[in-house]
Amino acid sequence: MLGEFEYLIISAASRLGEDAYGAAIRKEIEDATGDRCSIGALYTTLDRLEAKGFIKTRMGDPTPQRGGRAKRMVRVTANGVHAASDFYAAITRVSRGVSWKANRVAVQ
Amino acid sequence: MEGEPSRGPIMTRICWRSVDILSRMLSSGEREAVRGDLAESGATGRQALLDVLSLVIRRQAALWAHWRPWLTRVGLVVPLGMLVSVVSRRVAGLSAVYMWMYANNWDWNLLGYRGFWYQFAQSFEEIFLVYLTLVCWSWTSGFVLGSASRGIIRLNSVLFCVILSFGGLLGAPLYLAFLDRYLHRTLGLPSLPDSNAPVFELTFYRLIFPLIVQAILVVVPALWGLRQGAGVVRVRPLFRALLCAVAVATLAAMLIQIPELGLFLKTYRRPWIRQWEARLQFVVYWPVLYLVATSIGRRWRLGVGSI
Repeated sequence: MLGEFEYLIISAASRLGEDAYGAAIRKEIEDATGDRCSIGALYTTLDRLEAKGFIKTRMGDPTPQRGGRAKRMVRVTANGVHAASDFYAAITRVSRGVSWKANRVAVQ
Repeated sequence: MEGEPSRGPIMTRICWRSVDILSRMLSSGEREAVRGDLAESGATGRQALLDVLSLVIRRQAALWAHWRPWLTRVGLVVPLGMLVSVVSRRVAGLSAVYMWMYANNWDWNLLGYRGFWYQFAQSFEEIFLVYLTLVCWSWTSGFVLGSASRGIIRLNSVLFCVILSFGGLLGAPLYLAFLDRYLHRTLGLPSLPDSNAPVFELTFYRLIFPLIVQAILVVVPALWGLRQGAGVVRVRPLFRALLCAVAVATLAAMLIQIPELGLFLKTYRRPWIRQWEARLQFVVYWPVLYLVATSIGRRWRLGVGSI
């Protein structure tokens, strides 16, 4: 089972496709969640996902807008797609019939 | 640095300088990617520093979470550091006596006596061999540690220096004092006046000289050996196995030759250990041969490359 942050990374990398790399994934996550995504959390989670076989990474070519530095390109593997799909299905199932608006009112 | 402000308020410059220093603790590929990400996202100095710091802390914390680094630390860093410190203290004590004899009791008239020169040459030879042996043991200790510290070489270097400092300042003197008392108590040795007491009454020979010996003959060669040992993964497996065997034999020679450990191993009852000690003494100097051979090999490759 994936963790929440792992799911966010796999989803962002899948959406970006061939253009998935550290900074782009970070921006996708920050735009989607509205929270700051630290480089420390991103790169350690990328390593963990790679160790689990859910993504593959490689060093890309250096670009001028990055000060001539290379990108760490990310590609989601078939296992990664499967794990993210299972996570999404589980979240959908567990959320079925739950009305957050009603609960929020009840708590108040 | 390209893509990053090289001029600006002092705090910004300090932040980027800190980012430079901290990012050296990352692997080269990761450093490249992270610095590129920071440049692309237009991060401020403070943000970049926090980001790199968070990654470095996570990476360093991960090194403490696995069993292998702990095994290296507990099994190698601590025992090797303490053993070398004890040997260094003994060597410093021996050479302090000779040094005191010549430096603190110098008489120019001695130069006219042939007996003095004979005695001086003998002392010099003895001290030179003892120092060379200590340097080789320290280098080998570092080499073994470096070859077992893949990925955590910097951290283990710092820890090894900490253990050596502790051993030099506190561990070895306390241990040797305890051992002295223990031997007198268990073997019932009479309390004779120490013939070397005038030497060690002087603060320099008692406190400062052992630390100088430890710094020059232990810390420097050990750190050099650590760097060399870290590169041993690149050599052929057969040669690597040979190096490991020689290094283990050298450390075994160190264990046998430490008098108190010899007592514990009861070497006086086992003549074969004494025989091995004499044979291993030649192996102990292997770092000299190794460094000469690698230096010649490097020059030869450079020569071939430039043709």
